[in-house]
Amino acid sequence: MSDDLFDRSEFVAYFRDETEDLLQEIDANLLQLEDFVSSERADPEIVNALFRGLHTIKGSAGMLQFGSIANLAHKLENLCDLLRKERMPLSEGCVDILFLGRDVLKDLVDAAIAGREGDTAGLDQVVERLDRFVAVYEETSAVIDGDLGPTHRFEEEAQEEIRAAGNAEIEAFEAEVARMLAAAQAARRDEPPAECAVRAEPVRAAEPEVAAAANGVEKPAGEQKHRANTHQTIRVDIERLDTLLNLVGELVINRTRISDIAETLDRSFGRKNGAADGSAGVLVPLAKDLAESSALLARTTSEIQESIMKVRMVPIGQVFDRFPRVLRDIAKARHKEVELRISGADTDLDKTIVDEVGEPLMHLLRNCVDHGIELPEVRERIGKPRHGTVALNAYHEGNQIIIEVTDDGSGVDLERVRARAIKQGLISADDRLSDREIVELIFTPGFSTAEVISDVSGRGVGMDVVKKNITRLKGVFDVNTEAGVGTRFTIKLPLTLAIIQALLVRVADELYAIPLDSVIESQRVEMSEMRTVHGNEVITLRGQVVPLVRIAEVFELGGGRDPEKAMIVVVGLQGRQVGLVVDAFQGEQEIVIKPLSDVVGRIPGISGATILGNGAISLIIDVHSLVSEANVNGRVARAEYSGV
Amino acid sequence: MSKRVLIVDDAVVMRMMIKGILSKNGFDVVGEAQNGVEAVDKYRTLQPDLVTMDMVMPEMDGITAVKQIIGQDPNARIIMCTSMGQQALVVEAIQAGAKSFITKPFQPPKILETISKVLS
Repeated sequence: MSDDLFDRSEFVAYFRDETEDLLQEIDANLLQLEDFVSSERADPEIVNALFRGLHTIKGSAGMLQFGSIANLAHKLENLCDLLRKERMPLSEGCVDILFLGRDVLKDLVDAAIAGREGDTAGLDQVVERLDRFVAVYEETSAVIDGDLGPTHRFEEEAQEEIRAAGNAEIEAFEAEVARMLAAAQAARRDEPPAECAVRAEPVRAAEPEVAAAANGVEKPAGEQKHRANTHQTIRVDIERLDTLLNLVGELVINRTRISDIAETLDRSFGRKNGAADGSAGVLVPLAKDLAESSALLARTTSEIQESIMKVRMVPIGQVFDRFPRVLRDIAKARHKEVELRISGADTDLDKTIVDEVGEPLMHLLRNCVDHGIELPEVRERIGKPRHGTVALNAYHEGNQIIIEVTDDGSGVDLERVRARAIKQGLISADDRLSDREIVELIFTPGFSTAEVISDVSGRGVGMDVVKKNITRLKGVFDVNTEAGVGTRFTIKLPLTLAIIQALLVRVADELYAIPLDSVIESQRVEMSEMRTVHGNEVITLRGQVVPLVRIAEVFELGGGRDPEKAMIVVVGLQGRQVGLVVDAFQGEQEIVIKPLSDVVGRIPGISGATILGNGAISLIIDVHSLVSEANVNGRVARAEYSGV
Repeated sequence: MSKRVLIVDDAVVMRMMIKGILSKNGFDVVGEAQNGVEAVDKYRTLQPDLVTMDMVMPEMDGITAVKQIIGQDPNARIIMCTSMGQQALVVEAIQAGAKSFITKPFQPPKILETISKVLS
């Protein structure tokens, strides 16, 4: 018997989830702890929380026989214990080694979960550093403990091999406890009144401060709320939610279809013809009933849809949590002083987007520290506070979430960007570019202003990837920069990717859907208003030159051009506009986005498909790719046209 | 009738494991608590035959919880789940009224043996 009684693998998923949360908490606590270094005395609550987190990891890892994890957690826990008992002053070195230990611990956990338990890279080194660091204080502790000398020696031996913490050690421990108990009972027999006092007043003995004094593991009341909340939640596999969402999508399609039928019936029998036609007599009340039921169905369906969307919503703070640590590390490596201010961490958005937005945000933050914030000496010289501020702010605006990353650094040096872009052959020296267009150059693949390539950013892969990621999430990315004052990156993301409002248009007998959030206006334009510059058609709208894109030609649908007029839908992304030429407008509709299957593959200009209420299939136009393509051709055209 | 058990531990993994071992061996796990405060509350409402109690927990530690539970019910049967190196705390818990203790990491037979001793 023994191991056969329980299957470890059954618990590994729980271990992973719980340990990830705990490691995140430990990280946050360490960041707080660091603020106390100057006073050399840690806030006991923070140290206690650290101790408890490490203790829990140790216990669970031990049960799952992840020996190296239990061992390292144990050593880190010991270090916290010394801090907690104030037998070691809080120092920068101490915080550094805790950070390092926490990181190695995370690596070990990741490796163990991936089934590579033997992968203990970095473990020996950190253990050796920990041992050296702790040794001197442990000796002091042994002296302070005095009569507990033998106990202490035992503890050291136990640490060495928790992994092989076979029965011998546990038995030794239990024997030790038994000996102490016997000693305590013997002592108690000599003082019967004390025992009586305890028995007589059990409640008094249970007062919290007694325990707090005894082992100091009380938690502040403020954290109770947090714990209570986590207790009310359950973890659900995201795939189940996706299935549910997909079903709701089908439901929405069918609802729209029923609404269409009801409307047609109502038009045919409800109002115009009425009871005049004998055969319609029965249909009149039926049409009315159907219209009512369909309205009810519509309401319930949208409520279901809304609820399921809410279930998928998670606070963006989940992503923000790891940023303070990352920023601290970069700032330290760059000898910069940076404060990260986070607001709006409780802003909700779709889980899929939350998962995807982390990397781009991380890169922006790194970029702010690396390229934005100046060195402390430089900042002082120009009258700024020594430490720079990077602010991360999230909030809802309509159906979107806005995330802003702002720094109070030097701003983007437009001249330098321009010079660099010319040198790298991205533009030519006589290109006339607006300030916005120059700023946008930093998103060009391969562009970098960094003279020396650092390991943080400046490899020239980054800003273009950031932009690509945001665009893939149907997001819009914008930069505002002012020399000497700072830079603000603004990301606008849809709250969900699954259901959108769209404008339906007809092009050569095909229906296309254009996401409504990128539509600026739609109108009829006379041929006489169009100009052709370098083979590109453009129109002027309120003084702005807008390149035109003929959908029929992009998708090679055939059909000739109307010689007199054109229907155009003006779409815009980041202040750049393009007019899409279509045959007719077919109204607005809520659509459920279905990705194109792999069989079809990626079609340039198309981002997905949807099924309409009448069962017809409509392709969804990828506004972003059309706008950027038109812009490449359009930049030259626009420059020449404005010069005309 | 199977014995009713309340499991107290702040670590999900520990709770799941103890629950697994006990359920497979004919015990009825009637409740779980993740800190001392919950433990005291649930002890009062569930009146279990046995409690397994972790020592280090947020909000209220195991020893304080033992003291409060024994205060309500001097006959409560509580087994401490302890780690090596906590001998002084184990002694304190037992003096406060805990009936026995097991040392983590433990093997299933060990916890079953300890429980049957405490229940007999």
